Formats: sequence, structure tokens, C-alpha cells
Amino acid sequence: MDIPTFEEARKAGALHSAYRNQPTRAVVPGTPEPDLATFKAEIEPILEATCFKCHGEEKQKGDLRIDTLDPDLTEGVDVDRWLDIIDVLSFAEMPPEEEPEMAGENRGKVIDWLSSEIQLASQIRRSEEGHSSFRRMTRYEYNYALQDLLGLNFDLAGDLPPETHSEDGFENSSEMLQMSVTQLEYYRELGRSALQKATIRGEPPEKLYYGIKMEDGVAQINALSEAERGRGRSLGSKIPFFKNLDSNEQIRARYRYRNAEYFYRPSATRPEAPEKFQYTLILPADSQHIFDLGDTLPDSGTLGIRVLASRVSTEEKSLPALRLEFGFQPSNNSRSTQRIGSHDVTIHAPPGNAQFYRWDVPLSEFRRNPYRGEMELGDFPNPSEYLLFRNVTQNAGEDPVSGIQIDYLEVTAPFYEQWPPESHTRIFIDSKHKENEETYAKEVLANFMPRAWRRPVTPAELDRHVALFNSVRPEASDFQEAMIEVLATVLASPKFLYLVQADPQKKGAENLSDYELATRLSMFLWCSLPDEELLKLASKRKLKDRSVLQHQTRRMLADPRSERFSKHFARQWLGLQLLDFLDVEEELYPQFDADLKEAMQREPVAFFQEVLRENRSIMDFLHSDYTLVNERLARHYGIPDVYGSDFRKVGLDSIDHRGGLMTQAGLLAMNSDGKDSHPLKRGIWMLERLLNDPPPPPPPAVPEIDLADPEIAKMTLKERIENHRDDPACYSCHAKIDPWGIAFENFDAVGAWRDHINGIPVDATSNLFNNQKLNGIDGLKRFLLTHRQDQFAGAMAHKLATYALGRPLTFSDRASIDEITSNLRKKGDRLGDLISFIVTSDLFLTK
Amino acid sequence: MYTRLSTIDRRRFLRGAVGFALALPSFETFAGLAYPARQPNKKRFASFYMPDGVPMPLREDPAFRDWSWFPHGQGRDFKLTKCLETLEPLRNEMTVLSGLSHPAVRSVHGHSNADQFLTGADTGGSGDYKNSISLDQVFAEEVGEHTRISSLVMSTDGGTGSPRGSQTMSYNRNGRPIPAEHKPKRIFDMLFTKSDEAAARKLAMSNSALDLLLDDARSLKKRLSANDRERLDDYLQSVRDTEVKVEKAKRWIDTPFTAPNVDHLQLEITPDDPRDYLQTMYDLIYLAFRTDTTRVATYQIGRENGVGISDHLARAVGFKLSHQLSHQTKKPDGWKNFGIYCRFLSEEFGRFAKKLKATPEPGGEGNMLDNTLLYFGSASSAFHLSRNYPLMLVGGSKMGFKHGQFLDYAGTGAYRGGWAPGDTEPWKMDASREDLPLSNLYVTMLQKLGVETDSFANNTSTLAEV
Repeated sequence: MDIPTFEEARKAGALHSAYRNQPTRAVVPGTPEPDLATFKAEIEPILEATCFKCHGEEKQKGDLRIDTLDPDLTEGVDVDRWLDIIDVLSFAEMPPEEEPEMAGENRGKVIDWLSSEIQLASQIRRSEEGHSSFRRMTRYEYNYALQDLLGLNFDLAGDLPPETHSEDGFENSSEMLQMSVTQLEYYRELGRSALQKATIRGEPPEKLYYGIKMEDGVAQINALSEAERGRGRSLGSKIPFFKNLDSNEQIRARYRYRNAEYFYRPSATRPEAPEKFQYTLILPADSQHIFDLGDTLPDSGTLGIRVLASRVSTEEKSLPALRLEFGFQPSNNSRSTQRIGSHDVTIHAPPGNAQFYRWDVPLSEFRRNPYRGEMELGDFPNPSEYLLFRNVTQNAGEDPVSGIQIDYLEVTAPFYEQWPPESHTRIFIDSKHKENEETYAKEVLANFMPRAWRRPVTPAELDRHVALFNSVRPEASDFQEAMIEVLATVLASPKFLYLVQADPQKKGAENLSDYELATRLSMFLWCSLPDEELLKLASKRKLKDRSVLQHQTRRMLADPRSERFSKHFARQWLGLQLLDFLDVEEELYPQFDADLKEAMQREPVAFFQEVLRENRSIMDFLHSDYTLVNERLARHYGIPDVYGSDFRKVGLDSIDHRGGLMTQAGLLAMNSDGKDSHPLKRGIWMLERLLNDPPPPPPPAVPEIDLADPEIAKMTLKERIENHRDDPACYSCHAKIDPWGIAFENFDAVGAWRDHINGIPVDATSNLFNNQKLNGIDGLKRFLLTHRQDQFAGAMAHKLATYALGRPLTFSDRASIDEITSNLRKKGDRLGDLISFIVTSDLFLTK
Repeated sequence: MYTRLSTIDRRRFLRGAVGFALALPSFETFAGLAYPARQPNKKRFASFYMPDGVPMPLREDPAFRDWSWFPHGQGRDFKLTKCLETLEPLRNEMTVLSGLSHPAVRSVHGHSNADQFLTGADTGGSGDYKNSISLDQVFAEEVGEHTRISSLVMSTDGGTGSPRGSQTMSYNRNGRPIPAEHKPKRIFDMLFTKSDEAAARKLAMSNSALDLLLDDARSLKKRLSANDRERLDDYLQSVRDTEVKVEKAKRWIDTPFTAPNVDHLQLEITPDDPRDYLQTMYDLIYLAFRTDTTRVATYQIGRENGVGISDHLARAVGFKLSHQLSHQTKKPDGWKNFGIYCRFLSEEFGRFAKKLKATPEPGGEGNMLDNTLLYFGSASSAFHLSRNYPLMLVGGSKMGFKHGQFLDYAGTGAYRGGWAPGDTEPWKMDASREDLPLSNLYVTMLQKLGVETDSFANNTSTLAEV
């Protein structure tokens, strides 16, 4: 038998999509009635003939009795049972192998009748129920909202606790987002402190400049006696050195925190970067060097850093990456460093063509040396602070790694482009009424409140806040302090913290206001507040116009802020937080290092973003002939010729055994136990996250696998699982889970491919219900592409809509989700289209 | 051996791993805004830290008999050496413990570990740094609202110090260091004379702001469906509870101070007069406890590694610097000199404990020591070795401590021996035995202090023997 290619499986699978082939059902006008006549005449006889034997009066296999179910889905209580039934019929899970087949035509009839009744019941339920999307912002939404509102780009959510994940895995789920005294106190404090960081007082601070040439570093060394020189340490596993560019002489670069032997002095004027250098600093792979800046860095403001750097040579293909850390060491055993920025900077510049690379350090956000101002430089404890440069190049493979050449370092402390900075003038706007405190306070509030609350404020709301200003003003030391107190109150108000408010005057599914729509849209695609353009469209009542909405969606997805959506949706959908807490046995997997883990965390997000950016088919999540990797991950996958720490798209061959989400190392690793693969976790993960078909929870008294039994101890993992499954208490659930998980057995606990386990060839074959055979991961993917496209598309629509609405979906949402899925399938399964269908759906436009 | 293949706890695990149980403050305890009723058995806790470990001479070393810090013998049958013998009068109110340490940093240099003495966090040796709440602050969360000041945090060096070079024993709920006070005058003013004006202003502003937030919430509530109203009620309740807290804080500001008689206190003293300085610091805690200004105190007697002014404390007994005594134990009289310094620290600690014992419990039964748990120790024993912490519990008999015993969990397995330049440092060697997790003791302490909990940091159980 010829095994179809993935491409063929995908095409074939698409052909028998029910969603694609069925016409969209129009909503029936008037009061719709359940079609019980058809049930009596056609459906019940089929069920009686095929199902009642095991699910009737005599036997109730799986605890299910069909003959007594209420066929009225609109009023009846058996909706959940009918939903199960349509699923097992659609996926051909029932009737089982050993029982007489249900003829294709009959199966079609039952499914059609059920779908249409479900649709009807769901619509009725929806118009009766309405639901609640009223929720507060999540921790990350609060952070982005403050960042965008105030124009700051560092973390402002501070000590806010992380959110609890819902059953679906989402953090933005309305029912999970609680409020407590502690939480409220955090909001008040965080809002105040963010406002203080965004605003300034007084005259422009004087700038200090460091223009550090490497000859200055050599001069430091030369100034030391021979004995002193020997005491400094070179950092990292390789030795950094200064190189004389004329003579090629090398001088070992060292550092010691004591006695202020190594530190650079700032100047009050900005030094010119020299044209030529006599010395350069060479940082071989995995080496470090410290530039000590002394104890004069300001308490707050931004440290602006520019580094003139290049690769040492182009012979090595591997691209080096530079990481900067800010730190200090007051005494022997006490030191602290914090990474600057979240990603390492790949150094592309070839030798002889050095480039400036930039870093910003918001000083208020970094741990500072507490002895500044207390001790003298060189004292014990020492008050100085430093920048630690690391060549973090990860290549441990066969290619030699290029070093990094540092020619020049420029530091400006503090760096600012204008004074007062934009974040200040955004709040304390220019006005001719600055002298009249009350008038000006009102102007400041009138400018700030609508942006924070995402809608126009009423005169009463405005007055109430002016009144607050007047009442706190006597307690405050000046206008600004009082104003910040009032603005912090605006940011602690439920009108800032809570999203989408329903109106009890109307019943059922009523429309969002234009402003609420703007907020829902921006929370969905930017995890933050709407921008001026959205608010302006809302004020003109144009946002609900379908083409405007589609256009805005495209605009928002093209904006860099949409990367937040990719990151947070992908993380929550796939449950990536499991990876954060993954504990891998070091002795078994020495290759599992911090760089690999970081790459594993980034791949699913980068992959999602690629599918979104290119508006590709969501079926790529099941299988793709490409993925996104950096050098470290490529090495893990055995993909050659990928260099540097940046992620990029690479084509895959069938021998790579990769493609789609299910073969991504991070997802495989987090569904292992750190020692070996874990077929159950993998199977459950796939069912829950990809197919939205979570298996029932296990019964309370689950028999454990007894490894003390010598017979069992001898077995392979797969055999143990099969043995466990033979236990009747376990069978019904495990038969639904295990076969999926076994198919992943070619991947070890860190997601690397393996052909053998302890010398025995891997057996990754398994049988699904109805004896559908899965042959390893490729077989699994082929099966899903051939038989489960509809289910996956529906699951994807479900997950995205859950996230978009910020609430769990219920039966009453099913008709809408079906419609979105059907539109998606008809238009070619593209992710961008799916988002567009969701955004323009009645689900999204109503409360 | 069993392997659990079930998935029972998968969801629960998800929540456990990333979820966060919001600690709801116990507002019931001061409902109605009345002043807390005098409780029959007030419970207090104070913790003290000595840096740089203690003398651990080999058994065959002549100094072993007199200058080994840990007592000789075990159980009820123990004899205090010269290091601790001034505590002999408290014998039946104290317990000495060996063989306990926090597991996460046992292989880290002892000088980096004062940070985690009361927290049990994995504070590591370099790179990322994260700490967690300290024992005293867990207790302060429970009793802090009954007193003007929820807890008193002191150290000889003051401030927070730096990561792995802490100058405070206390860390808040988020693992951030609470700056320690080191100037007696400031501490005295804070306890007995000066209202915090900045705090008072803040509270005044807070009141109007909270009113407005309530207004906002109420007007919003009118526009919500029944379901959503419930959700907003959480918010409303939080604002109301905050108001109660503010009210309460304001009352303390308005409450007149009970200024004790302090003519004997030398409030301008510095650590350059070490013995008097220590006595003054202890006296301040004593006064704070006696006036019920607070029930929780920590005092870090010295920073690790001889950094800072606390290194001068050894001048009280005729040495120049404290820390280097721990480095010179292989020199003539090395153990003895180090021991004399440790004896000084325990002597002053004992003086404080005896004073509590001599003072009847104000408005209660017994003496103050009966209702005060004192905890004294260090995060290293032998040279830079972060195992087998030297520890003492004193007082708290009314909380049910057994006392009068040396719980020698380390036994003969304790690492002993000095160090000289060129030797391998003990903290780099493989351990011959594993200590018990110190947080087992901490949970027992918390329980006896009346905190309902069965976990702290990485505890595996409790320590029933104390």
C-alpha cells in the first residue's frame, strides 16, 4: 500500500470536510421549533437498530443509555450526551469494530439531524442567556496598558501575582481573575510608582559620558604593579584579551573589584569616538569581561550604551552573540548581575566593518549597589557598578566559533533626547493655565482619563476627580504630587482595571458599544489599550463597519504590538508554562542547557507568528515542511548551516521528522518527566490543546503501576502502559489516550529523535479505536490530516475565540463557532482569516 | 517503587506550578474596628544572627573541651562549653540544636548565606537572585496588626546589604529585603516618640482616593448584569477592606506613645563601643516588647565576611576584627580566640534573655521570657561550611517548648577542623552526611507561635522533639 505524502493527506482530508461541504445554515426566522418529527420517523429507528443493544434498557456501556434521551435539544436536559454522540459518530469511533456497522447513509442522516438541532438549540440558548465577559485585565495586560499609556518600555507590573490558568489553559478567563485587598493595594502602589517613573522634576540632570577605548583598559593594567596585575581574574571559560592592532601583541584582560584598580572615569562632555584604535578587546566564545563604571551612575533615568563591535573573523560560519549585564560586587561572596534586555544581540558586522550596537538600561529597574554614596571607591565593601560583557555564542558543535571584537564603548548617564521627556509632557501637557492649579488639573485629567478609560468621560466623572485633587492638594507637598495621587486613583479605578461591561437593561446577546469594541479588539490583538486611531473610529461610530473592522484588524496585526498576541496566545494555548518549570535530569541529558531551553520556549511562538504573518493555513500546525530555529535548536534537530541566536525559517526534509507543532522539542520535552518520554502526558496534551477533546479525569482510585513486580520492571515503557491498560478499571480512558501518546515515542525527554531505547528499536506503533493503525509521529500527523481536519479547525476556532472573548465558551456559543469554522474551512484555513472571522462574528460584537 | 501513571493532578499541577493563592488578610480579626482585646497569652518572637560560623575543633584537639561551640553530651545530659556557659542559668529554658541546615545552598560558600537564614530560599552563589519571605515576617503577618509597629528589623550594619551579602534578616512576602535600622536613636524615636508624618499624609490622601474608588465601583455596578455585579463585589469589598486598614493605621498614628523610662539608654552609641552597643540594641527590643509596641524583632548582629562596622564587635574582648578570628584557628590559641568572641555574643544574648525572664508578663501570667521565643544562630558552622548550623532556641515555655536539651542531630558526623591557607575549604568537599531541613524546625516554631500552617520554604515535615 502506498503511504500518502503529508501534502496528499492534507488534500484528501480537506475534500471530505463536512464544514466545507455543508451550506451555512441560515437562522430560521420566527420562533424556531425542534424537529422532533424527523427524529421519530428517521433517526430513532437508526439508533434503535445500531446503538440500543449496548446503550439501551439492558446494557449501558460507558454509562450511556440512548433510548431514554430527550430528543428535544432546545428544552431538554440531555444536550451534553447528544454532543458526545455526534462526536463519536463523526470520528467513526462508534459503533465499535466488533459490532455491526452503521451504514454510511444512516450515519450521515443522524449527524445531519443532530448538527441542525444543535445549531438551533445553541442559538436559542444564546438569545436567552447572554454571558459575561466582564473581567479585570490580566497581569500582562495591565503591564502593557501602562507601558502604552505612559510611554515606558519596562516591566511595570512588579509584584502583581501571576494569574491562575483556566481549565482551557487561558490566563485571561473572566471567571479566574480575582480581586483582593492585597491585589488592590498593589494596583494603587504600582500605578503611583509608574506615574512617578514617567514624570520628572526639576532641571535636566547633567549627563556623564564614558568614552572607553581599549587602550584605556591596557593603561589600567600597565598602571598596576606586577603582583597586583596577577590578582585580577579573567572571566568565563575562555580568556578575553586586549590585542594591539599594530603588533598583534595580546594582553590578558582581567578584573578585580577590590581597591578600585580597574575602573573608568566619566567626563562631562561627550568624547568623540576615535577614527582609529590601537587596541581592541577580543572576547572568544564563552568569555566575559567587566567594564567598571565606578560609583557615579545616577539613581534613575536611562543608561544609554553604544558598543562598536564586529566579528573577529568571517572564516567561522557561526555568528557570535553578545549579552550585556548590569551588576556590582561589593565583597568576595556578594555579587549581583542582571541581564540587560531579554535577547542576546547577534553580532553580524564583519571584521574591519564594526558597527554600533545599542542597549538601554532603565536604572530604576535594576538592582543597585547599596554602598553607593556610603563608601569610597575601592573601600570594602566597594560601591562601584559595572557592565559585564559576555560572548554567549552557543556553538559547541564542530564549527569553530567566532570571537567578538570590541573597539569602543560609549555610555551616557543618563541618556535622554529631550527634557522634559515625552512621557512627562504626555501627562503634564502644555497649557496656558499652568499657573491656575485647579484649571490645569482639570485639563490634565481631561487629557488622561479618556485614554486610560478608553472612552469619553462624563463631566461628572471629571468634576469628581478635580474634587479629589482639591482634597488631596493640602496634604501634598506640591501640585505634581497631588496630581500623581489623583492619576494613580484613575488607574486603580474599576473603570480602568475592568473590561467590557454588560448592561442589565437589555436582555440576552446585546451589542457592544463602539468603545467597548475598540477595547476588546486591542486587548485581543495587542494585549493593551486601544490607540488613538481606534478610539477616533469609535467616536465616529465607524468601527463596527465590517470593512473598517477588517482593515483595522490587518493594521493591528501588522503593528509590532501584535507580537504580544502571538506570545501570550501561543503560550497559553499550548500550555508553555510547563516548560518554564521543566526539570531535566542533567546526567541523562547533558546537552540540555539554558540556551536550548530558551530556544525551545521561543520556537512555538516564532512558529505561530510566522503562520500569522504569512497568513498561512492553520493545518501547518499539524504538519509543515518548515520550522523556525536558531543555531542552538538547529543543532538539537540535526539541521545544518544555521548560525547565530536569531530565529529564522528553515525548510525541512522528511528525514528530519519535524514539522508542525507536535514535533517541536519544547512541547515534547515539557510533556516528558525529565527522565524519559511520557506518552500519557503527550497524548493528553494533544487531545486537550490541539483537538480540544480533553479526556475525562481519572477515577479517584487509580491502580498504580507496580514497578516492584519483576515482570513489570522488565517491560519497556510502552509494554507497561499496555499492561496497565488491560486493567478494566483503566481501559476505557486509556484506550482513548495511550495510542496517541505512543506515536510520539521516537522523541526522548528533551524532544530529540531516537531510533533505539536502551538498545531496543523504538516501537511507536499503536492502534486507535476501530483498529486505525498509527505508525509513529508521521503516521499520527497523516491520520490527523486525513481524518481530523474539521475537528482541529473547530478546536482552533474555539481556542482563539475563548482567548479573544476572555471567557469560557458554552453550548450557546456553539452555533457561532461552527459558523466561524465553516467560513474558515471554505476560505482555505488561513490563520489571519480565522482572526478576521472571529472579530467580525456576532460573538465578538456582542457582550 | 511506584510510578504513578495517572493524570489525576495534571490540572492541579498546572495551577500549583503557576497559580498563586492570594493570601486574604484576616480582617475578621479586627472586625468592627475595636482595639484588639488583650489576649491572655501574647506571643513574641525575636531572631538573632551571628556571622562567620563558630569554633569546630577536632575532637582530639586540646581546644575541643573548652572551645567547641556545640555542647558536649546530648539530650538532657549535656554540658555547655565556655562558648555558651554563661547561659547555664537558662539551661531549662533553652534547646541547642545541631545537624540542621537549609538544603538549597548547602554547597554555596557560607559567606553568601545569611540572606536565606530565615527564608530557606535558594539564593545561589552567583547569577540570578531571588529570595522569599522570612520566618519573622510570616509571624508578623499574623500578629502585626495588634501593635503600633508590625515588626522591628535591626542589624549592626544597617540597610539591606547586597545580594548574598545581606545586612538584614527580614524579607517580605515578595522576597525583597526589609531595610534594617542600626542607629539606636532612630530606633528609639520610631518606637516611642515620632509619628511618621509622611505616613500620616499618605493616609489622609488615601482616604479621599478610596472614597472615589468606591463611587466609581458603585456607579459601574449599576450598569452591570447580576453576574458581573458579583464579580465587581470582589473589588468593592477590597476597597472597603483597604479603608478599614487605613482607619486602623490612622488610629495608631493618633494613639499616644507610651514612652518608657530610658535614662539608662545610650542612644548615640555606635558599634565602636561594641558591648554597650549590643546591650543598647537588646534593650530596645526589650522595651519594644514590654510596651507591646511590637511582638516581632530581628537583629543581625553582624554581616558575613567581615564587611562593615560589625567587624569591630570583637573589640569588646580585645581583638581588632571579628571575621579574621574564624580564619586563624590553626594559629596558636586560634580556637580559643574565636571562642572568646563567640562567648561574648552569647553572653550578651543571655543577658537579654535573663532580663525578659526577670520581668513579669505585663497584664499576663508568668514572665516575659515564657511568652517570647528567642532564636539565635548562624548559617555556617565550620569554616565557610553551610551545614550543621549552630542554633539555639530560648524561652517560649508557655508555647510548649520542651527545652533543657541538646538535640544533636549531627552527632559524630559533624564536620570538624580548622583551615589554613592552602587547605581545601570544607564547603567544597563532599558531605559525609545530610542534615535535616531547617525549615522543619521553622514550621514547628510557627505552629507553637500560633500560626496555622504546615509548610514553610522546603520543609518535609516538622520537628516534634522541640
